[in-house]
Amino acid sequence: MDPLLVTQALNVLYEVVTLAVIVLGLAIVFGLLGVMNLAHGEFIALGAYVAYVCQSHGLPYLAAVPAAIAACALLALPVERFLIRPLYDRPFDTLLATWGLSLFMRKAIEIGFGGGYKSLKIPVSDSVLVLGTPFPAYRLLLMALCAALIAALLLWYRRSVAGARVKAMVGNRELAQAVGIRTDRLARDTFVVGLCFAGLAGVMVAPLVSVQPYMGLDYVLRSFFVLVVGGLGSPLGLLSGAAAIGGVESAMSALVDRTAGYSTVLLIAIFFLWRRPHGIFGRS
Amino acid sequence: MNTWVFDFEDVTGGYGGSVVVRGLTGAVAAGQALCVLGRNGVGKSTLLRLLHGFLPLARGSVRFAGRDLAGLDPARRTALGVSFAPQERIVFDDLTVRENLTLMRPGHPLAALAPYFARFPRLAERLGQHAGTLSGGERKLLSLLRVLAEDRPVALLDEPSEGVQSESVRQMATLIGERKAAGAAFVIVEQNLELVEAVADRYLILDQGRTVQAGDRSTLRRAELVAHLRV
Amino acid sequence: MTTSLARRKFLIASAAGTALIGAPAFIRNASAAKDFKIGMFYAIAGPAANLFGPTQKACAELAVEQINARGGILGRRVQLLFANGDAAVADATKSAVRMLLEDKVDFFLGSHNSAVREALVATIKARVPYVYTPIYEGGECSPNTYVIADTPRQQMETVLPWLHKKAGYKSVYLIGNDYVWPQVTNKYAKGIFKKLGVSVLGEEYVPLGAPNKFEEAVTRIKGAGPGLVLITLVGGDNVNFNRTFAGFGLDKNILRVSSLLEENTLLGIGAESSNGLYGCMSYYSSVDTPAHRAFKTAYRKKYGDKAPILGLIGVDTYAGVKFVEAVVTKAKANAAAKVKSAANGITFASATGTMTMRNRHVDKDMYLAECKGTEFQIVETFSNVKSGQTCA
Ligand SMILES: Nc1ncnc2c1ncn2[C@@H]1O[C@H](COP(=O)(O)OP(=O)(O)OP(=O)(O)O)[C@@H](O)[C@H]1O
Ligand SMILES: [Mg+2]
Repeated sequence: MDPLLVTQALNVLYEVVTLAVIVLGLAIVFGLLGVMNLAHGEFIALGAYVAYVCQSHGLPYLAAVPAAIAACALLALPVERFLIRPLYDRPFDTLLATWGLSLFMRKAIEIGFGGGYKSLKIPVSDSVLVLGTPFPAYRLLLMALCAALIAALLLWYRRSVAGARVKAMVGNRELAQAVGIRTDRLARDTFVVGLCFAGLAGVMVAPLVSVQPYMGLDYVLRSFFVLVVGGLGSPLGLLSGAAAIGGVESAMSALVDRTAGYSTVLLIAIFFLWRRPHGIFGRS
Repeated sequence: MNTWVFDFEDVTGGYGGSVVVRGLTGAVAAGQALCVLGRNGVGKSTLLRLLHGFLPLARGSVRFAGRDLAGLDPARRTALGVSFAPQERIVFDDLTVRENLTLMRPGHPLAALAPYFARFPRLAERLGQHAGTLSGGERKLLSLLRVLAEDRPVALLDEPSEGVQSESVRQMATLIGERKAAGAAFVIVEQNLELVEAVADRYLILDQGRTVQAGDRSTLRRAELVAHLRV
Repeated sequence: MTTSLARRKFLIASAAGTALIGAPAFIRNASAAKDFKIGMFYAIAGPAANLFGPTQKACAELAVEQINARGGILGRRVQLLFANGDAAVADATKSAVRMLLEDKVDFFLGSHNSAVREALVATIKARVPYVYTPIYEGGECSPNTYVIADTPRQQMETVLPWLHKKAGYKSVYLIGNDYVWPQVTNKYAKGIFKKLGVSVLGEEYVPLGAPNKFEEAVTRIKGAGPGLVLITLVGGDNVNFNRTFAGFGLDKNILRVSSLLEENTLLGIGAESSNGLYGCMSYYSSVDTPAHRAFKTAYRKKYGDKAPILGLIGVDTYAGVKFVEAVVTKAKANAAAKVKSAANGITFASATGTMTMRNRHVDKDMYLAECKGTEFQIVETFSNVKSGQTCA
């Protein structure tokens, strides 16, 4: 097979799965709690900076995973309690509040780490032969990890009791309370888990991107597009949204160029907002 | 009067500023059922919501086994020992029938519910089906089954027989009777007089949010009930 | 009767208003008349602010401190007034109007993109001299406007033939952001490639300010197999491209020249991804000249360990302020004609040595750097390279 074709195909796949993981946290928080978290990107940045701190202290890269989860959870808890909980069911206020949070987090990162770029060493720097073509090992590993993470979360949501309780809360909050689910706590935990996934995504992509205080902005718009196409609350929708946005953008970038990629994605998003505002699988 | 497992006094409250029910008082002992009757819109569901903490009390108190429930949210009241079945949106549509029944009791085998399934085979056949796809009557049965499966000392039921065919209503009455015999107490909002006559030990008739008549089984007269319920 | 009363009230109110607005302005002008005011536009807030802003400000203030220590310009204390140059054109224009009319600045100094520069030129209308400092595409010849910047000729005419002689690359791939500076630079570079007999295998541009990824472009480059990649990407795109490039292992066989590769960007690219990467600019913090050693000592002394990181775009404001000092001192005024004749051929201090203004652009020493880890190793110095710009 044409080695370039293999690489470009892998690039498309890479874009799709990493995008799905990047959106995961936003999809959880928006799809399940109805909270549009404009600070999602900043939690990705937080994860990336935690990874940077771990690496510059000579810790193994995996140490960044629990550290980032802890950092995100520690921040997410008070944010949920004092910013999100008082504003449930007030989407516009939540939007403003999380926007303010994102400004604050960017500034805080800038004060703590300076405005400049940080670079992280790639944890696995070799290449692996795929169908006879070398492909960077870390990217392959990342694709596998992302796919595993999404599959695990899907399975958990579908099969576990906790997943069923989350579904119960989302579908019928009063009845959930009536059967004994502490919905305020479950919502809090869901929010925290969503933001921890954002931090985890940050740890995963940090070695491949430019780490700087404003990096979170790079993710918000594309994540939003994925939700527009995929619809809310359905894990399958999330995957198809990521496939549509990431896949089309990457494929167009491979076939033509980046500008063509952006234009196509924008057209897709507009089409969905216009004709299918509830996403691919959405019902009204 | 410390033998009541569930009692309420001077319960007053409603939505936002508007008071819907005023000064309601009632009680049940273990093994008893208190039925609440009244025309549409008199505040029966509102009373149950006040009793379970979905709405704040403007005045009055609610006790479970002598303990004042003030300040507890619905989930905590349920955990203490009071089950609740609402009148509307009564099952989790996105969950299967099985999940609806086992959501809060993941360790318990469904086999323990065999006697109930024997009475309602339609549900037993649809364990894997999403509850949202059940018929209205099937949903009411599932809701009641869920409460019975929870096996708590007290259950608050809001019109369990609404839209249920008469044969199934009789089965419901039998099940409730069996649970009463086992010591469970019920507060049941109900319109179906057959069910009321079958299970009620005490009753409360409301009109415009106030008690117009209260009593026990010995004073329950169908003709009077009908007169009160006439629009 | 009512109307005349209303009219009188109106007159009193207007008079009072005029007095309120007029008096402080008068007092302010009288008391501050001695200061020599430079209206400086730099990246205070915006995409470039976190990267360049602190250094732009710190270097300009260091120059001002040094000038004031020697008695200022024509005996007047130098004062910097700041406005955001990383702003929308309309906002920058507003700031310029305020500085012209209210603050009555004596000189403008700008370190920002070309769109803002064009707007400022149109606003200032040559009423006050204006010096523009950051690297750009060339072509600015508006009256009473002076340019410190590195030009495409100074960058390309040095590094491309030098690398060709050293490594003998036969083909090249061009990638840049989609705006005027990369396009003009590439146009200039293509002229050089033609002379050298180097074939251009591809040329692509990605949108400026979009969250670009480069897997596909890098794979395309891998397929094209050039000997050299000329990179006119800026900021985060420059970082991401080079990291992806090395991640796919292309750094092992393909040389890279990046035309805006300053210290911050190289830190972002990281040591693992900088193998075979070159740049040619008039400033690197590793340049070793006596003047630069003195500059760095003064910079450290003023700002300590937390000093903003030194880099081309930041330090050019130092040269800009020094140019203002030199040219106004020589012209003994800031009148356009006098400044113009004084400027031609004038030599002034920069962070690394001296620069000479000719035809309102600067002939300067250019340094060719090879990346070694996250350091720039200067491998060649080109003295007094002509800007290639000839403004009348
Ligand atoms: N969420 C609400 N907000 C405001 N008013 C409400 C709300 N729910 C019910 N009400 C009002 O409270 C009054 C009592 O309603 P409630 O549902 O308690 O009646 P009900 O006795 O249960 O009637 P039904 O027999 O039809 O179920 C009605 O006038 C109703 O309009
Ligand atoms: Mg009701």
